[in-house]
Amino acid sequence: MTTPNPLSRRLFLQRAAVGTLLATGGSTLLAACAGSGSNDSGNSGGGADKTADNPFGLAEKATVEAIIFNGGYGYDYVTFAADIAQKKWAGSTFKVDPSTQIAQQLQPRFVGGNPPDLIDNSGANQIGFNTILDQLSTLDDVFEANNYEGTKIADTLYPGAKVPGTFDGKFVAMNYVLTLYGIWYSDSLFKENGWEPPKTYEGLLELGAKAKAKGKYLFVWGKEAATYYHTMAVDGAIKEGGDEVRLALENLKENCWSMPQFQGIFKALETMVKNGYFVPGGAGTQFTAAQAKWSNDQQALLYPSGSWIENEMKKATKAGFDMKGVPEPTLTDAPKLPYESLRSAAGEPFIIPAKGKNVAGGKELLRAMLSKEAATNFAKTRLAPTIVKGLVPADGFGSTALQSQTAMLDAAGTNIFDYQVFGLYGMNTDQLVVWNSFLSGQLDAAGLTKGLQEITDKVRNDSSVKKIPVTK
Amino acid sequence: MTTTHEAVPGEGPQQRTVTRRRRPLTFDRVSFMVVFLGLPLTVFVIFVASPFVQALYYSLTDWSGFSSGMNFVGLDNYVKLFNDDIFLKAVRNNVLLAIVVPIVTIVLSLTLATLVTIGGSGTGTVRGLKNAGFYRIISFFPYVIPAIVIGLIWAQVFTPTSGILDAVLNQIGLTGFKDFAWLGDARTAMPASMFVMIWGAVGFYMVLFIAAIRGIDPEVFEAARIDGAGRFRTATRITVPLIRDNVQTAYIYLGIAALDAFVYMQALNPGGGPQNSTLVMPQQLFTTAFSKGQFGYSTAMGVVLAAVTMLFALIVFTVNALTGGRDPRKAKVRR
Repeated sequence: MTTPNPLSRRLFLQRAAVGTLLATGGSTLLAACAGSGSNDSGNSGGGADKTADNPFGLAEKATVEAIIFNGGYGYDYVTFAADIAQKKWAGSTFKVDPSTQIAQQLQPRFVGGNPPDLIDNSGANQIGFNTILDQLSTLDDVFEANNYEGTKIADTLYPGAKVPGTFDGKFVAMNYVLTLYGIWYSDSLFKENGWEPPKTYEGLLELGAKAKAKGKYLFVWGKEAATYYHTMAVDGAIKEGGDEVRLALENLKENCWSMPQFQGIFKALETMVKNGYFVPGGAGTQFTAAQAKWSNDQQALLYPSGSWIENEMKKATKAGFDMKGVPEPTLTDAPKLPYESLRSAAGEPFIIPAKGKNVAGGKELLRAMLSKEAATNFAKTRLAPTIVKGLVPADGFGSTALQSQTAMLDAAGTNIFDYQVFGLYGMNTDQLVVWNSFLSGQLDAAGLTKGLQEITDKVRNDSSVKKIPVTK
Repeated sequence: MTTTHEAVPGEGPQQRTVTRRRRPLTFDRVSFMVVFLGLPLTVFVIFVASPFVQALYYSLTDWSGFSSGMNFVGLDNYVKLFNDDIFLKAVRNNVLLAIVVPIVTIVLSLTLATLVTIGGSGTGTVRGLKNAGFYRIISFFPYVIPAIVIGLIWAQVFTPTSGILDAVLNQIGLTGFKDFAWLGDARTAMPASMFVMIWGAVGFYMVLFIAAIRGIDPEVFEAARIDGAGRFRTATRITVPLIRDNVQTAYIYLGIAALDAFVYMQALNPGGGPQNSTLVMPQQLFTTAFSKGQFGYSTAMGVVLAAVTMLFALIVFTVNALTGGRDPRKAKVRR
């Protein structure tokens, strides 16, 4: 880690102390994490005048530092954008570094008041938004600026691009990759057997019986990803019951998991578990190994996941699989939101700390990422659309999954929803435990309800957790 | 994992009778004191003592970990801890580990050490089994592999259906285990994890005990044999009492390793296992700090973990002293 300012004695001692402690024992792991940092407010990064061509006032010969989560999408797409920006701003330096431990690596820098200029705050070790909300720049001016082709950026994006990055009314995170949640299957396998992807939980049960007759399973799960079924159930319940269900969850309401929409879905899932429609042993299987049982071995017919699944399993997908996605099933065939509605939100939140050395530089790099060239590069190489619309051709760069994504988004129209509650309060770890037990058959629907409710109640009743109310 | 092994002291502190004379504070003496007393003390205070004090302070605040601001909340974090069922579950798991892992490891490694040192032929000089050196090297292997690698390898072995364990059990006719999730079932996750920890530790402690047994005068064993003591009796009545200090030290090291256990558990079941059955305190501390952003609260967990560790060491010393061990203050490692 390079620290641009001279390493102060205090900081040095604090860091050295961290090292010593790690060596002396995990028991005091956190003891030396610095609690008080320098209070220099950092400069807003300006320097030059703001013009249409330089909307954030990037100084000449500026240095910009970006730390990018190196996960399923890699980080070289940001390097690609940085090269574009570098060309435009000759003399400036755009430095892009990968990390898989965002929270652990950046925690001392946030405390010390010298965070990087741009962060992709993603992955299992992301920093919880409610802890750093006060330290982030708002990004409204990025969308108001013109892109490198001269069009206002806001006009080039899918609707609702700001929603997933807006907390408590403040737009602080630009989520770059358009993600939608659905059920994924092999089109070739389904055609061969004359199956149709089910639209309701009743349909799922019927298909489960047919799969069983063929010696196959309906679903598969892995221990780190048991909550994909949580997402499927929650999305199904929200489609079934509309905003009422979603707001109850978002605002951590008492007994929210006892709502009839959830109960119906949990009961159906319980039946599937009891009938053996899940590949057994998921609670002891690493999740990508479990996913390969669906994409490579075709033991299971369906897998609920986000649209990153194609890219994630690229190397472990059977030839001629023809992956396609459909919206998540609803409980009945008369849900409040139409079946076609989708949970779709952009993922990969990019944030710009207000205390960074060069806030304008971070925004300039975002602007480069939103340029047509950089966004097309991403869609083409990662087979996933960005929030910049209209860049995926009809043939989906040859990917059936990408084609079906476009079709799903078109069919959904404005019926797009999203929620943030579980990520916002870091509930996933606790929920995984409950879901793994439920899917292995050790908990019934009532036990699942109780477990999920306890997790929600714990957050609600913890006065030290800052709550962010959701009203719409 | 922290297995910082104490340096081996020589033959113990030798009491020297030095007549104390007051000598003048020459530059030599002052500079000597500064370098050999002042410097180590400063390093100790800055790098060891002050972080402990800081940790205590942070555990009394609501620090989020990502800002410089924090409020003093007194003992709130500790009150919350003792009402936090998940953390208490982690404490129980750690205590269970600290009881089972050291006992099983010590019994196993002591047995193996006895076999390769005095378990051999009943005639001639007292010696170990044939090819003892070979067994000794083989059993030391696991200790050479980093804990994280051990964890990942065993996670594969325990994988249902495709893992070696289920495949072997299925082959020998136990079809009930065809796709049994050893790490995914609340009944077996903890024993399976304990097995891995023990597997990783036995070799090292065996070597430690071999060295200790070698330190015993062989005539003692010969005398015992002439008196008609069998191998088992020799082991329990001669060997164990004579290497008692080593056993105690091993027990404390193993206990501390079991109270940590972070690396193994994170590799085997990163989420804490089915129904949190393998969740340990450091894991809970880690998630609370980094994914929930509650550093003050998680520092309180760290303080509790430190307290439990010290309590554990105290209990081991007390038990050893009460059951006729030597004065713990004089206990030292002999190899």
